[in-house]
Amino acid sequence: MTTFFQFVVVGISTGSVFAIVGMSLVLVYRATGIVNFAQGVFAVLAGLLTYSFVQHMPLALAAVLATLVTALVATLVAVVAVGFRGRTTHLASLIITVGIAIFAEAVLLAAFGEVPRSYPAISDRAWDVGGVLIQPQYAVLALVALAAALLLTLFLRRTIVGQALVAAADSPRAAELIGLNLRSIAVIAFAVAGALTAVGGVLLAPTVPVSYSSGLTITINGFAAAVFGGLVSIRLALLGGFALGVLQQLVVGYVDSQYSLIIALLVMLVLIGWRSRGELAV
Amino acid sequence: MTLLALEDVVVRYGQAVAVDGVSLAVGSGERVALIGPNGAGKTSVLNAACGVIRPAAGRVEIDGRVLTHATPAAVVRRGISQVPEGRHVFATLPVEANLLLGAYGRVFRLEIVSSTLRYLRSKRDVREQLERVYELLPNLRELRERPAGRTSGGEQQMVAIGRALMARPRLLAIDELSLGLAPVLVQALAEFLVRLNEEEGVAILLVDQSAALAFSLCERAYVLETGRVVLDGASRDLEGRSEVRSAYLGRGPDDPA
Amino acid sequence: MSAELAAQGRTARRRRVGAARVAALVGATAFACWLPFQLGLGDVGLYDRMGLYALVAIGLTLLMGFAGQVSLGQGGFFLIGAYTSGLLTMGFDAEERLIDPQAGIDPLLAVAIAPFVTAAIAVVIGIPLMRLRGHYLAFATLAFALIAWSLLYAQDGYTGGQYGVTVSKRLVVAGHEITGATHAAVVWGLVGLALLLSTNLVSSRVGRALQAIAANEPAAAASGINVALYKLQLFVFAAAMAGLAGALFTFFAQFLGPEDFGIIVSLLFVVMVSIGGLGSVYGAVVGAVTIVYVEHKLRDLGTHETLLGWDLPSTAPSILSLGVFGLLLIVIMLFFPHGLLPGITGAVRGAWARFARESN
Repeated sequence: MTTFFQFVVVGISTGSVFAIVGMSLVLVYRATGIVNFAQGVFAVLAGLLTYSFVQHMPLALAAVLATLVTALVATLVAVVAVGFRGRTTHLASLIITVGIAIFAEAVLLAAFGEVPRSYPAISDRAWDVGGVLIQPQYAVLALVALAAALLLTLFLRRTIVGQALVAAADSPRAAELIGLNLRSIAVIAFAVAGALTAVGGVLLAPTVPVSYSSGLTITINGFAAAVFGGLVSIRLALLGGFALGVLQQLVVGYVDSQYSLIIALLVMLVLIGWRSRGELAV
Repeated sequence: MTLLALEDVVVRYGQAVAVDGVSLAVGSGERVALIGPNGAGKTSVLNAACGVIRPAAGRVEIDGRVLTHATPAAVVRRGISQVPEGRHVFATLPVEANLLLGAYGRVFRLEIVSSTLRYLRSKRDVREQLERVYELLPNLRELRERPAGRTSGGEQQMVAIGRALMARPRLLAIDELSLGLAPVLVQALAEFLVRLNEEEGVAILLVDQSAALAFSLCERAYVLETGRVVLDGASRDLEGRSEVRSAYLGRGPDDPA
Repeated sequence: MSAELAAQGRTARRRRVGAARVAALVGATAFACWLPFQLGLGDVGLYDRMGLYALVAIGLTLLMGFAGQVSLGQGGFFLIGAYTSGLLTMGFDAEERLIDPQAGIDPLLAVAIAPFVTAAIAVVIGIPLMRLRGHYLAFATLAFALIAWSLLYAQDGYTGGQYGVTVSKRLVVAGHEITGATHAAVVWGLVGLALLLSTNLVSSRVGRALQAIAANEPAAAASGINVALYKLQLFVFAAAMAGLAGALFTFFAQFLGPEDFGIIVSLLFVVMVSIGGLGSVYGAVVGAVTIVYVEHKLRDLGTHETLLGWDLPSTAPSILSLGVFGLLLIVIMLFFPHGLLPGITGAVRGAWARFARESN
């Protein structure tokens, strides 16, 4: 029985990353209508940057710096992905983010090489809770995911900037007419989402080393979590992420580790198919 | 004093010409209408005036300043607010948030520091303006917490108008006031607009398919047909003119909208 | 009366132009089939691959251009087509999970079966997906391609996993071995056939429905066109083309290994379509030829020791291809959202028209 809970615990930690990426995707989608295929890149970039910075400074500082740099890169991605007003459709933006993801792999490969990188976790000593080992890193990841969900929901509902983001999604036309700049809104959404994903990446790397090619699977897992909430619900993306992570770990533990990705993808396909009831293609 | 002046404005969508050299003017305190059938280019004229679309040619002057290629935010800052066709309220946000955004929308730019300062400085003025809008449109006060999407069509029209008023415009441009609303409601809104104009001094530019509504509400009107102004003048002179009837392809100003 | 004659004259003219186009296409295809016999050995391989990818791109461009849907998983169908034909040919003993050529079927039959297998899978995936917004299909097809690729490793007893499967049987048609230049000729012959069928399709009633959908989907739906059905058909067609190309690929490489079927292949097909123009089948061929050529040149470049004074790492070929293709996709979608070729020809035509106007 303890092995079962062990898997659940590990699953929640990996699931936290999926949840974080999923919520980031939801934020960007709600503000801009764009699904950012390159979201996973932000997690990888932050992890790799932390690895580089940590050679010269304490871990905490390295992590903060890496997050800031990644957020900055995210704003650049925003400008490129949004494209030209009126000329660039949402689907074109998606393809642009695909191109960005590919290009980013080249840059990361050139800068950091092929070898997956990592750095020390917060603490090496796991807590023993009734026979189940819980790494502090896992706990932090889960807490960050929960906190992010709370903060994002409050942000979108209670702050004027968050409400401006929602407004831009509800009616881009009216948002423009009251003076909101849609490109600025996209930049803000991407920056916040990028920073959030970066934090996820920074916390992930000690447990699962990241490399230039990790971005794709992270994005897909994040998307699966986001689909759980129809791409619009922060809370459901959080839940979906945890569920997906636990499911994957159970498959790794009880079935075959080679199937963990496949199972996750199948779940996503089923979710997408399920969501197709009552949705219209536009 | 002329608040808004369009001179020979041309709007193109690719190869198609939607607005073919339109000139019009709205003076302060006036009520002016722009009428014409569907597809005449009325909304495009409005969008060109409000900075949503760049004219291919011509000039847009707001309050004496040339603002032909301005952003919508600049236009709002200069005193023109638009209530769009179909209302376009922010459906998932409460009514009060809709109104507040109407005031703050033009405050935010990417420079975080200056935007934050502007936001903090304007908070009290915005609260005052909010109260004023609630006085003008008392129904909105009761609906302040309701998500705007869960209000009726007429209420949404009020939300959209209230939102536009939050920017303290000197000219309120309304696109298709009567769209999808019961005549009783339209009448009430029209009366409200007249009061707004006479008591608060807000100029009105009404763009509508319904010539009857336009003539009853506005002193002056421009008749648009396939992108060109075919007629303009005082409403009482235009009513019943055959050109108006033909501009609507058989529908006269007294036919139901 | 004269209006009727004029209409008849127009139809006759259209038929003549149509016949001329078909003749030109047949001529070009004949040339394309003759060409591989004139090329050196290394070039034949490149040329063959161009043709195979062109087949996939033709299917995808119709999907992207007329259904407005992006499939990031054509590589998955390519993979399934290849492994289906390869494994059916080489046969396997289900008990032992060993390759057993005696149990294998005739390569020609295997090649014929593969497109139907991929089409069937496409129907299953496509039915729920066609009604969804574009990004759902994009991710779903990517997921599908990833699943297919992961299964290669997971079921390595059947698929040879990372070590691959050597296909020792050759494709034989009527006593002739289809390899080398002959294979390339067959592939390009099929490309010509696909082009012919596609251009016929565009001018038929189906084609008009497709164009209506591409121009204004809600309006097309309102006028009674079953939009979802047409989109599904395009999706299945694209999958079948990719499956066919994959099946033929097996007897080009005579070896099946995961490296040829990674995710990047799926993404490359999107780049090809972007270059040639969404919906343009001729453009798709141009796109395929361009990308295969560029990829070849980049790999060459990447294997040098130094480039412009910089020492190149061993990963340079990957860096270069990923970088160039990613950048291409971004630039094309930003500045030429309907495709690079249409954008360029449009710009040239516009400049020429302006020049003609001003000089009058």
